Amino acid sequence: MNTTYLGLEIRRFARDRANLFFVVVLPAFLYVIFGATQAASDLPLGNGNVGLYIMVSMAAYGAVTATVGVGGMAAVERLQGWGRQLGLTPLPDIGFVAVKAALAVLVSLLPVALIAVVGALSGASGTAAAWMLSLLAVAAGSVVFALFGLCAGLAFRSEGAVSAAGGIVVILAFLGNVFVPLSGTLLEIAKFTPLYGYAALARYPVTEGRLIANDGTDLGTEPLWVPLLNLGVWCTVLGVVAVLLVRRGRARQ
Amino acid sequence: MTTTRLPSATGTRSGAAGTTPAVELRDLTKTFRTPTGPVTAVGGIDLTITPGEVVAVLGPNGAGKTTTLDMLLGLTDPTSGSVEVFGLPPRDAIAAARVSAVLQTGGLLHDLTVGETVRLIASTYPRPAPVADVLERAGLTGLADRRVSKCSGGEQQRLRFALALLPEPDLLVLDEPTAGMDVTARRDFWAAMHAEAARGRTVVFATHYLEEADAFADRIVVVADGRVIADGTTAEIRSRASGRTVHATLPAHLTFDERHAALVALRRHPGAAGVQVTDDRVSVVATDSDAIARTLLVDVGAHDLEVVSGSLDEAFVALTANDHATDHATDHTATESEETR
Repeated sequence: MNTTYLGLEIRRFARDRANLFFVVVLPAFLYVIFGATQAASDLPLGNGNVGLYIMVSMAAYGAVTATVGVGGMAAVERLQGWGRQLGLTPLPDIGFVAVKAALAVLVSLLPVALIAVVGALSGASGTAAAWMLSLLAVAAGSVVFALFGLCAGLAFRSEGAVSAAGGIVVILAFLGNVFVPLSGTLLEIAKFTPLYGYAALARYPVTEGRLIANDGTDLGTEPLWVPLLNLGVWCTVLGVVAVLLVRRGRARQ
Repeated sequence: MTTTRLPSATGTRSGAAGTTPAVELRDLTKTFRTPTGPVTAVGGIDLTITPGEVVAVLGPNGAGKTTTLDMLLGLTDPTSGSVEVFGLPPRDAIAAARVSAVLQTGGLLHDLTVGETVRLIASTYPRPAPVADVLERAGLTGLADRRVSKCSGGEQQRLRFALALLPEPDLLVLDEPTAGMDVTARRDFWAAMHAEAARGRTVVFATHYLEEADAFADRIVVVADGRVIADGTTAEIRSRASGRTVHATLPAHLTFDERHAALVALRRHPGAAGVQVTDDRVSVVATDSDAIARTLLVDVGAHDLEVVSGSLDEAFVALTANDHATDHATDHTATESEETR
């Protein structure tokens, strides 16, 4: 990992105050709307309560928004000629992807930390292990969505594509069981989408795999390998595609 | 189409047996797919550059210069043919820090400062030149803390130059390095380049400014329509213009038929390589300017005669025009220019 490059990237990100505000504050705001103010949030659930469950979901969504944005911006800057400049250096393609993925994960820690603070103050509760492991999964798993943003931007070669990727994230979040618990056929399809594995993994320390429909029906327990496999496959596929697209991006656009 | 290689150029360049060429292009082609069908940007280029040479790749816009340099730098893969830089594939030469480049506009992050940009690129090399040293050689010492977005076009170009110095490359590739610079910035840039060439670096630069090629290169490779159409020293390229151009004003009293007969006679003249007429002023690119002058003054009765020796500019026009003409003899830069009226 090129730490000089990563350090300069962090500095660049910190300079963009407006972007920083939306990336950090918006997910916490969503949590307040969807979670903290819900009557059901005090109900116990697994190793915590419903409030913690919603908090982890919103933290995951916030992390995804942040990382897709970082990945998308990386794609746009490559297409604007920076890719050609880097193509003149020994920096390997995977080195660039690694720096941007690391930046995305570090950036995603900001909304996640803010949501955790808001959550703790507004009634989300659970065992220490549930808190720690859930937030760790949110942070580590977000790397997949940095790759997703990078792929979207590089594949469609425009800033519009990056905005579109942000929209797709909302759809994927619904399909990923993030906003509203799904059931039936939709749930079966959802299990193949990237946010499903991510959100399910992040909530596993709280729920231990229990699935609950929107009306409170118990849908049984899902083993841990389902989210792990989902996330692993998506991470591999998007990682390979990102490196291939970065290679293509060296030519003139 | 024929590729003309001047005998002396072939002789001296291939004479350096035993040394690995800095650049070796073999039958290099690049075809792009476009919605309207495939477009050939590079149509088969052979080129060998020995270490220490300073070579200008000269050609009009769209001649395939940038595409060729992109393949040389491994930024684009060739459709066919081979590229070697110091005997290595281009990506390996880049990884080994043997080669670096100043590309055309774009390619900088506007929210970084000049100093940060140099530090960032330096971090990708195992043993980069010191940042302060590179800033000084590119004339950027006072600008290290300035945001790239606040730099002028010339300053940004100097920054790209500074980045290219970081690996202390054996081969420096410059693609239209002074495009968008004013006269002073251009002169300063070439002064800095002279200093780098004096350190023994091989320099290859693309340009469409003849005076830059003339002033800085010791060898000129003329490219048009994706092919090398001439390759030689600056003096050799200049001599390929048919020597001199004879200008004269036709007598006003000529009838249409007389005028036509005079022009046909000039075109068929063995000493003429090309004839152009604008109003009453006739210009003849001459291989035998004395005979042309005699014909104009005695047979045609023209006046205000001028004989001008060929400039590199005219050589270039003649060379590229020759390439567009059909299978012409390689030696003559005969331009069959159309009469304007």
